[in-house]
Amino acid sequence: MTTKSVPLATPVVPAKRPSSNLIATITSWRVLLSIAILCLLPWVLPSKALAVNVLIYGVLAMGYNLLFGYTGLLSFGHAAFFGAGAYITGIAIGQFGVPWYGAVLLGVVGGGVLAFVIGGLSIRTRGIYFSMVTLALAQLVYHVGLQASSWTGGENGLRGFTVAKIDLFGVSINFLDPVNKYYILMVFAALALWFVSRVLNSPFGAAIEAIRENETRARACGYDVERTKLLSFVLSGLICALAGTMSALHLAFVPLDVLHYQTSGMIVMMTLLGGASSFFGPFVGAFAFLLMEDVFSLWTSHWQIIVGSIFILFVLFLPKGIWGTFLAKVIR
Amino acid sequence: MDAELILIQLFSGVALGAILVITALGLSIIFGMLGVVNFAHGALFMVGAYGGLWVASLTGSFWWGLLVAPIMIGLFGMIIEWLLVRPLYGRSVDDPLLLTFGLSYVLVEAVRIVFGNDGIPFPTPSQLTGVANLGIGYFPIYRLFVIVVVAVVLLLLWLALEKTKFGLIVRAGARDPTIMRVLGVNISKVWLLVFGVGVGLAALGGVLAGPMRTVNPEMGSLVLIEAFVVTVIGGLGSLLGSVVAGLLVGIAISMTALFAPELGTIVMFALMALILLVRPRGLFGKTA
Amino acid sequence: MSAPLLAVENVGRRFGGFVALADVTAQFEPGKVTSIIGPNGAGKSTFFNVLSGVLTPSSGSIRFKGMDLVGTRQHRFVHLGIARSYQITNIFPELSVHENVRVAAQAGRSRYNIWTNRNRFRELSERADAALDSVGLAAKRDETAKFLAHGQQRALEIAIALISDPEVLLLDEPTAGMGPEETKEMVALLEKLARERTILLVEHKMKMILGLSDRILVLHHGRLIADGSPRDIQTDPEVRRVYLGQNDGYA
Repeated sequence: MTTKSVPLATPVVPAKRPSSNLIATITSWRVLLSIAILCLLPWVLPSKALAVNVLIYGVLAMGYNLLFGYTGLLSFGHAAFFGAGAYITGIAIGQFGVPWYGAVLLGVVGGGVLAFVIGGLSIRTRGIYFSMVTLALAQLVYHVGLQASSWTGGENGLRGFTVAKIDLFGVSINFLDPVNKYYILMVFAALALWFVSRVLNSPFGAAIEAIRENETRARACGYDVERTKLLSFVLSGLICALAGTMSALHLAFVPLDVLHYQTSGMIVMMTLLGGASSFFGPFVGAFAFLLMEDVFSLWTSHWQIIVGSIFILFVLFLPKGIWGTFLAKVIR
Repeated sequence: MDAELILIQLFSGVALGAILVITALGLSIIFGMLGVVNFAHGALFMVGAYGGLWVASLTGSFWWGLLVAPIMIGLFGMIIEWLLVRPLYGRSVDDPLLLTFGLSYVLVEAVRIVFGNDGIPFPTPSQLTGVANLGIGYFPIYRLFVIVVVAVVLLLLWLALEKTKFGLIVRAGARDPTIMRVLGVNISKVWLLVFGVGVGLAALGGVLAGPMRTVNPEMGSLVLIEAFVVTVIGGLGSLLGSVVAGLLVGIAISMTALFAPELGTIVMFALMALILLVRPRGLFGKTA
Repeated sequence: MSAPLLAVENVGRRFGGFVALADVTAQFEPGKVTSIIGPNGAGKSTFFNVLSGVLTPSSGSIRFKGMDLVGTRQHRFVHLGIARSYQITNIFPELSVHENVRVAAQAGRSRYNIWTNRNRFRELSERADAALDSVGLAAKRDETAKFLAHGQQRALEIAIALISDPEVLLLDEPTAGMGPEETKEMVALLEKLARERTILLVEHKMKMILGLSDRILVLHHGRLIADGSPRDIQTDPEVRRVYLGQNDGYA
């Protein structure tokens, strides 16, 4: 067994092993490296749609992982923030005529505020309660989305806010073109990657890892554990809301399912498949999950039984996920 | 709005709450004893409903379904514990939760493959159709029956926990598993059985709920969340808490439905949020 | 006698109907080593938990430099100058030895900064190295904490507690589970620490307590039954009665 917090996650003191220099180099260039890979993605994947989904769900899983992998809190309610971002963006554009950038900003901030409320309530609980309470509160948001149909379109989902072109600095870009769309959304993803990397490198990043490792000790060291967790929860909610706004812009449609607890579950699955507590893990996991969905749904409409089984096997035998296991092998 | 209607609705809430009590109780004893949050609990409730339907249609009798399905699924629960959950003891508390979450996916899809995506009506047994006059108004006999069954099961469970040696072991083990090893009790057998009983209770809840609604593969997800809310309100691991909170939630949902039907589910969450603010460990939860 | 640094007055703590600590009054002067002894279940851990803010006392007051600490949240205690170690080793197992101490140092300086690179706080890293050096772990700085030997983990925990430069150091059985050799090293470390800090010590090893302590408090059933110099305590009839037949006490 090697360490749980893989070196990509903890750049502070790389262990003195032969490959540690390589790892340290990758770590310091991790944001640019990810962006380079994302640039190539639409040209290597079978479809542009899959590439866009990797962007959106990669950002979503990465935001989630800030809380799950780095702070050690297993939330089952992150669909709420993803959905809030998507709905607020859609409503702002479609019903209030807010320009796209304003709508994105509103979506992200709105998701953050929701995260503050849900986080504030659920962090009062300890351990296993936390998962249950986040799930229940997110389900409350789902029901609000369902009932407030004059705003959200209820079960039919939200439509009527197509963004056809993006005007920026006097240049008008056709947003309906899949390649343009991909690269514009990629800018959001790049921002998110950069932001998360920054947070993980910061003193706050060290504090949340300490809390994940040993809450009692962290508190005895002088960290206000509840406040730190809440901040982590809100940051995580902000990123997930950004993924939601990306999804809304991409689809020009918000299905009610974005708020469903299956979405929360999917986020958990993606993160764990890729590997929690590693920087690239969530992206790898999102990619693996979407690829499985694409491939297996060609065979059978019951592809979820395969994904569910694979997930069970991962929990049992590869709890570090694809990327985490790969790293552990490389380091050894 | 007359008093009679309110009383009948209250009774309705008790029937709804009874199902919640039995389901949440299963969740709670598994947690209390094994420290595992069974995320597949809702899916197993759903499997219970289908199992009851299947046995009833094979034998032509609801009663066989009611009796056999929970036992079958309880045994299935023991296989789950032995095969999947046991390897995770000693790892993070999140791992069994994640695993059972994956299992719920598999169960829902498996039921879809066998029984199809659409809902199936679960006929009320002929002996229990119709309404009874309770003096305050007419009330469906089947719901009365549900309340009685749950009360009997609760009584049996209480007797088993309080009056038998096995119950003594379970109660002591929930408090301190290491003492069991010291006393030479084979704790893994106890855990196996407790998991089986907990799952069996979920399945029983499923069979009982069947005739009150359409049986469909998705029915478990709402139940899981309701059971979570009940255990959070009552205090995870507290059996009395499950009973009180289950009835409370059932009545709250059913009374809200009377005044504002669209808020029925939302009020349950509001209740939970309120309890969390006042008592983060639930009504009967142990304090640190 | 100098003014007390830390003073508890009529402190009690109940758990439901169980009284874990009752009516304890004591003062602690700066620069002294005070040991707290008593049979298992005497309330030593509860007393430590109350003193370090883990538990709020059910009654009584705790004053530190004249400030009332009752109701203060636990994480504030460190910032005020009271740090502790735990009976069961309590470190950050997956972090490097250096990061264990560095992150503890950081708690006094930067807790919510999400923007600056943590490596830019060079002073924290240097302080962490100095602390590791002082407990003899400098050579292990880059190892993962969970791979350290038991005694080294205990020493690491003391380095973590020391890094906040506390005026009062609460040590809960620092030699628990240690062999004779490791214990000897720990005692040497404690002697060094005792020169500059106020130390409260819970221990079972009598020889060590008698050698180290300026003063001993004896708890029994949650009550303070004796308070005095090691010599007084050794001859106290009440203490002798409580410990009679209690092998673990003098082991």
